[in-house]
Amino acid sequence: MRHSAILKRQDRIATRSGARHEPGRQAQLRRLAVLYTAPVVLLLLVLIAYPLLRVVWECVRYVNLVNPTVRGFAGLDNFRTVLQDDDFLPALRNTMIWTALSVAGEYVLGLASALALARNVPGRGIFRALIIVPWVIPIVVAGLTWSWMLTPEYGILNHWLVQLGIIRQPIAWLGQPSTALFTVTLVNIWRSFPFYTISLLAALQAVPRELHEAAAVDGAGTLMRFRVITMPHIRTVSLTLILIHVIWTAINFDFIWVMTQGGPLDASETLPIMIYRYAMQQFDVGAACALASMMMGFMASIVFVQYYAARARRPA
Amino acid sequence: MSESKAPNTITRRQAGAAMLSAGAAMLSAGALVAAGAPSARAADPVTLKFWVAWDPALPDSKIAQAKIAQYEAAHPGVTIELQNMSFEAMHDKLVTAIAGGQGPDISWGLAEWLGELDRMGALADLTDAVDGWPDKAAIYPNVWTGLAVNGRIKAVPHYLGIRALLSHQALLAKAGITAPPQSWPELLDQAATIRAKTGKYAFAVANDTVRAPQEFFMLLVQNDAPLAELVPGSGPARYRNNWDRDPAQLRRGTEVMALYRDLLARGAIAPNSTSWGWEEEDNNFALGQYAMVMDGSWMHLHESQYPDSMRDVQITPPPGLRNRRTYFEINPFYVYKASAHLQQATDFAHFLITRDYQAAARPADSPRTDVVGTGKWGTSFSSLAASGVPFPPVALGQITRAMQDAIGRVLLRQEEPQAVAARFGKAVNHALRQSGELAAG
Repeated sequence: MRHSAILKRQDRIATRSGARHEPGRQAQLRRLAVLYTAPVVLLLLVLIAYPLLRVVWECVRYVNLVNPTVRGFAGLDNFRTVLQDDDFLPALRNTMIWTALSVAGEYVLGLASALALARNVPGRGIFRALIIVPWVIPIVVAGLTWSWMLTPEYGILNHWLVQLGIIRQPIAWLGQPSTALFTVTLVNIWRSFPFYTISLLAALQAVPRELHEAAAVDGAGTLMRFRVITMPHIRTVSLTLILIHVIWTAINFDFIWVMTQGGPLDASETLPIMIYRYAMQQFDVGAACALASMMMGFMASIVFVQYYAARARRPA
Repeated sequence: MSESKAPNTITRRQAGAAMLSAGAAMLSAGALVAAGAPSARAADPVTLKFWVAWDPALPDSKIAQAKIAQYEAAHPGVTIELQNMSFEAMHDKLVTAIAGGQGPDISWGLAEWLGELDRMGALADLTDAVDGWPDKAAIYPNVWTGLAVNGRIKAVPHYLGIRALLSHQALLAKAGITAPPQSWPELLDQAATIRAKTGKYAFAVANDTVRAPQEFFMLLVQNDAPLAELVPGSGPARYRNNWDRDPAQLRRGTEVMALYRDLLARGAIAPNSTSWGWEEEDNNFALGQYAMVMDGSWMHLHESQYPDSMRDVQITPPPGLRNRRTYFEINPFYVYKASAHLQQATDFAHFLITRDYQAAARPADSPRTDVVGTGKWGTSFSSLAASGVPFPPVALGQITRAMQDAIGRVLLRQEEPQAVAARFGKAVNHALRQSGELAAG
């Protein structure tokens, strides 16, 4: 009896004490959480938010590094400079061609190689390891190596093509306006498709084998099974891959810069190259920021559209 | 329970307070250090950030490093902090570093950057310092002129990249040509013979990299078609391309564009060379892949790499149009106004053009009249110094791009030379307007 009375008393004290200290503990935990996340937040603010806001701010200001007389609020003048630039529409067209062809080529090649590597073929492990090689080579190294291989004077590719009788004489693939952009695009496909291969291979391995077996028993052919079973299962991965690669490719600067610098005669100039030229050759930082903002807005729109489209597709 | 929690809470609060106190103390200490900086700096050792663009594998970079080490030994308070990069990387890094207030104290650079770096307000005015140097007169007079903006010296010469005609004597001899051409029409006439007799092309031009505008500029100078003329007036210097106002200048500019067209059309240059930059031009010449090139004395560096194909190289003045002037690349050292150690940086720049340094590091292409290399790589180029013309000191970034564009339109798109010349003149003035250097009217 005495023991139970003591227990009841302890319970009352504990309840009263907990009620009094719970809010204080939660507040303390919140403070600690803020303290621990503060460095990351600070880093994001300094390294991402500040530069982005600075770009947005400077796109409505006159900022020219070599013309200190031009200063102040520019309104939409920088956007006008970009839109009236003779190089803008060709660069926009090049960006679209470069992005569309790159992403399409990478997807087709990545899917084909993923399907091949998903099969139980001899040496599958080695092929899976080897296929990633182009993707792990640094862009500058890949770009310079391909530039050498494509050189008309000593390039091994020209040599082979001539030896095989495909072309009569070596071609300056990167030196002709008609071939430069497509050549760089091909090299970009070569470098980027392994990322698709790995991602799609992982998705393919998650497709239940029983579905294929059941469909095969029901008489579905390979193409039918691919269309009805495989594709729906890899759709989410595919859309994500395509989305991020559209963004990565459209804003890519280094590959084109290493191989052609946007030339010859601006034939491979894309919008990121144009931003670089505005800032580093014309020293018109305002115009560079305006074009960068336009690209940023366009890319953000793609992400939002994809996000809301995906959300709308989700069952309620 | 509450008793056991209280000490923890106090400890964290104390820790927070301690951190704040420490931060405040550091800020205060920083402020105190900053306040006392001038007096402290005077006694402190000085580190000069020196950006260079040498090839570490080549002997001249090793000699330069040894000389710099000697300088440091002779000046115990001064340390030279070297940072090596390519010229392309250096340009972009300089632009961003200067804009961010983090530039070097002194750097290598290209002559083409003089105008833009000066427009950025980055360069120190060295006029008074240079006037006090006893060996100022040992530098070619037109070198100082070439490094001046509005009459003020804004850089110190490093080496000269005077252009001459380099030719493979053996290839010319095989084609039955006894002497290199004196004029561009003569070179065009020889092209077919050289191709027929040797299987090699006669010549090469650049249409990419910094080399293309340099070659184009030389041809404009030779044909009296000024790129941008200084318009007299008070205040800062203003320039203009007058091809739209002077039909004679436009005609002479058109003739230069037509020369590019003819070089390709008459088989003087290889069709696949129409997008070459300096590397392709230099390497293919060094390998004996074509007969002649307009190039600088640095080509002697290829002699050790390709001794067989470089043995027969002869050097002569450039072929001419209306005159035989050449491009005068005055490769500079830039000293930066924002340097915290401007005096020491200027002194170091002076050391870099002393006879001792130049004779060791730049024996073949020194801007000093008393350092002239022996043999063909020395005298053949230095004898052309008086006929050299540098770029006008304007911001050239957009102009050099317009020059490449003009060459490309003729060589790659086969556009009419006159239309290309007219377009080019407008592009020059557009660039000058953007940089605030276009003369009014």
